[in-house]
Amino acid sequence: MHRKLIHHGFRFFTGLCALACCSVLMTLIWAIVQRGWPAISWRFFTEQILLVGADGGIFYNILGTLILLATTVVVSTPLALGLALLHGVYLQGNRWRSHLTLLIYVLNGVPSILFGIMGFIVFVHYLDWGKSWLSGGILLGLIIVPTVTVALVERIASLPSCYIEAAAGLGLRQSQIIRFVILPQSINGLVTGTLLGLARAAGETAPIMFTATIFAGATVPNAVKESPVLSLPYHIFILAQDSFDPSVSAKIWGTALSLLGIVFLLSLIALPARLKIHEEAHHG
Amino acid sequence: MTRIAIWFFSGVTVLTVLAMALLLLMQSLPVWQHEGFSFATGAKWFYRQQEFGAASMIYGTLVVSIGALVLATPVGIGAAIFTAEFLPARFRLMVKLTIELLAGVPSVVYGLLGILMLRNWIYELLAPFDPLSGDTLFTAAVLLALMILPTIMTLSDDALRSVPATQRHAARGLGLNGTEVVLHVSLPQASRGLFAAVLLGLGRAMGETIAVFLVIGRQDNQWPQSLFSLQPLIESGQTLTSKLGSSETNIAYGNPLHWGAMVGLGVILLVIVTLITWFGAYLQRSDHAS
Repeated sequence: MHRKLIHHGFRFFTGLCALACCSVLMTLIWAIVQRGWPAISWRFFTEQILLVGADGGIFYNILGTLILLATTVVVSTPLALGLALLHGVYLQGNRWRSHLTLLIYVLNGVPSILFGIMGFIVFVHYLDWGKSWLSGGILLGLIIVPTVTVALVERIASLPSCYIEAAAGLGLRQSQIIRFVILPQSINGLVTGTLLGLARAAGETAPIMFTATIFAGATVPNAVKESPVLSLPYHIFILAQDSFDPSVSAKIWGTALSLLGIVFLLSLIALPARLKIHEEAHHG
Repeated sequence: MTRIAIWFFSGVTVLTVLAMALLLLMQSLPVWQHEGFSFATGAKWFYRQQEFGAASMIYGTLVVSIGALVLATPVGIGAAIFTAEFLPARFRLMVKLTIELLAGVPSVVYGLLGILMLRNWIYELLAPFDPLSGDTLFTAAVLLALMILPTIMTLSDDALRSVPATQRHAARGLGLNGTEVVLHVSLPQASRGLFAAVLLGLGRAMGETIAVFLVIGRQDNQWPQSLFSLQPLIESGQTLTSKLGSSETNIAYGNPLHWGAMVGLGVILLVIVTLITWFGAYLQRSDHAS
């Protein structure tokens, strides 16, 4: 009787924790949707900022964020592919492999503001680029390399070894096996990882605030030097610091909702592939 | 060709990471030469007087992130026990994916919620203690707790799930009920993984910049009278990251000593966070191996 009581009490308590987790986070989302929705309109997405954020829309902020994300993909893809294939193929059974894994984990934990400081030294001052979309894209690319690499490594590790043995049995060289077997089979790991990484990169403010983005006055960059872009997270960051004007306040929540929309969209596209991996992990 | 490309891009990544650490170290040299080790232990930061001490910011970082951990860990691990041990598999996946989706909410959005909502609530909540404003270390700790809750929960859930099901079946066969299985089998076996989850949450809390920046008040030289006093919690403060994110970064460049001090803060942060993540990853991996 006593044991049963403890069991029910314990289950109830942990259930309460789970409920608290979910409901707190749901409330957050609800708070943003509720406040941001009234600001959303066609004009909001197609006009540029007017009156220091109190009027107009966020067209160039969205465009700027998309430019940064496109650059991020270009930078992160070859780096992550290189690391993942090195890890999965060339370092198989090598003691350096675990060091590489550890390095990837540590890189994943490096606070993003430090990438911002490094970019400030290297791109803004050493290379004298000033603020540039390219430095922002390179920094964000480096930041998401671990996310993409880990997704790829998991995918490569889960490939049935008979594929590789069959290819080797047909007389393919290692580089051919990589190109014609491993890469095509693990491409959805790359896509999933990149989407998740982009979801993170889209919301990052710290790495781009000193290096790539300004609050107003930039449109489409046409060079590298002195070519900043506007961006969604920096827009929210600046407006949040002096948000006493109610008309500005409506625009901030609208911007936050748009950013959240982009982030969730990217993670949701990655969802089916992740569900599949979960299932395979349970049945395989 | 393929081989060369793979080694080339891997080399680029690894060298960039190492060069980055080295660059930060080199750029911070002037302040170590000027202040010596008291850069890390001195509590006074007056850049016009060329006096640089990081201790009050290290203190702020520790208080805020450990506070966040104290708030988030019990709830996070409790929730993970429920999803991993009691919830049917179908629902478990649903809850987990929701939580992971929420882990992706950008920190600037948390910062916005903090500055426009949480700050006022905390101010009213703390009214009996007469705080100067809602920008306090406590506000930052609460906000960070919300941010690391999904991380701690989902990693704890993974750790609990990695305990082999046969162990649970054996324990049930011996007549233990669900709770006893959790307390005597799952938790002890997953303890390393759970500890790793907490450490990785801590690492994330320490490195968080934007959300903390917006709600902490950014008051320099807040050194507590006693290290165990709770008074600083209801006062403004400064963390390593909120300092690095401030406009002082723009001002400092050009003056080697001042810049060295700013980068020095980054080096201290990098060392602390790297040690924590490294230890967390180490525990997590050895947990899976067993």
